[in-house]
Amino acid sequence: MKIAEKTESSSRAESSLRGRRILVAKPGLDGHDIGAKIIALALRNAGAEVIYTGLRKSAQYIARVAIDEGVDAVGLSILSGSHCELVTQVVERLQEAGAGDIQVFVGGTIPEADHAQLQAMGVRGIYTSDMPLERVVRSLAQALN
Amino acid sequence: MPPVTTASDQTPLPFGAASAPTLDRRGLGRRLSALANASTAEVMALDAQSPPYRPLAPRIGLTGSPGAGKSTLGGRLAVLRSLQRRVGLLAIDPSSPLTGGAILGDRIRMDEVAGIERLYVRSLASRTSADGLAPNISELLVAMDSAGFEELLLETVGVGQVEHAVHHQVDTAVLVLVPGAGDYVQAMKAGMMELADIFVVNKSDLAGAAQLVTEIQGVLHAFPPPATCWLPPVVRTSVSDADSVAELSAAIDRHQSWLNAHNNAAQRQLQRQRYRLRSLLERQLAEMVSALGPDFFQASLHQQVQTLAKSLQVGFGSLSPLKP
Repeated sequence: MKIAEKTESSSRAESSLRGRRILVAKPGLDGHDIGAKIIALALRNAGAEVIYTGLRKSAQYIARVAIDEGVDAVGLSILSGSHCELVTQVVERLQEAGAGDIQVFVGGTIPEADHAQLQAMGVRGIYTSDMPLERVVRSLAQALN
Repeated sequence: MPPVTTASDQTPLPFGAASAPTLDRRGLGRRLSALANASTAEVMALDAQSPPYRPLAPRIGLTGSPGAGKSTLGGRLAVLRSLQRRVGLLAIDPSSPLTGGAILGDRIRMDEVAGIERLYVRSLASRTSADGLAPNISELLVAMDSAGFEELLLETVGVGQVEHAVHHQVDTAVLVLVPGAGDYVQAMKAGMMELADIFVVNKSDLAGAAQLVTEIQGVLHAFPPPATCWLPPVVRTSVSDADSVAELSAAIDRHQSWLNAHNNAAQRQLQRQRYRLRSLLERQLAEMVSALGPDFFQASLHQQVQTLAKSLQVGFGSLSPLKP
């Protein structure tokens, strides 16, 4: 009985993303997805349903999956330095498909100098690898709720 | 590995679907998300507004233990079958009981599907369901059917012993087993042997595949179904062998033809209606019971049941429309 109570109360406290669907995607050519996987787990732990694409996906592919899966948000994990090009492509594909309302977030190695440009493209949040996971989850929950 | 045949979007469809309206993927995607989140009251409100549903698309279910290869095989099967028709695939993955969250990874095994216009793949989380399916699965399947697919594939959570629920939702139930995993015994225990229309021995290049086929056939021959019933075939598959996937596809076609010749659609529809009602009531009751405080349990069990039955009427009384 004690265990059940603890489970219910802890899930209530931590489930700030419950009922949300989020696509975690890796566009471009970099081959490291440990960060994407950790983010996926952190979002799941916050109650979200996370769809992960795997490595090296095209913008076309990411937009198609986001639309078919009816997600609330797309998180792009990019470590290659091509974030401006890749984000532009994904945002364009989403808009072409009438899904410009799906929010786009970017994580990875993103220099401060590029943040303004990404935000101008409509990126709702930029998360660098030094940011605590709780802050990422809180920021996403705020944007989506 | 031979390349998987993909449907070219330009190929005219052999029947019907060429004239069907283009699939509104964005609209369907949003609709399914809203439905998956719908409360029991919202489901009832939606039902009150909807015209009576007549099932059109045949439904094929894939079930089996975790790691049996359901997603990979389901993806290949969907690609192959989409050559001739518009196919919708629902793939269910487990939710964490602690946080309610889920990693929906079935798609990773279906890389080739995203480029095919005639194929729509949707991942679902099992959430509070413990039967290998998902809450509101009845409504989700109806929404898929109404979107104009000519065939629906349903892949269950791999749990091993409880997936018999899929039998209530599909026309053709495919049980995927692998050599050496012992899941055959689990399937026998769970009564899956009696519910499968097609047995698949997947990863059939592994040692023990022939033995597993013999064992399944042994059980089928020891307890043969009545002559008026379908005799389930055993198909050996390996995703590296495109012909074996085609063989499974042909077995599905044979079962579908058999179903059409033995007019028992009404019986299957009744089964689905029972399942739908039961899962709606179960979910509503589970939500009510988990919200009860300690005081409630001071009363006798009889009083507890009486009070709950009354609250059930109240709980179902208020219908609110489904938010988009």
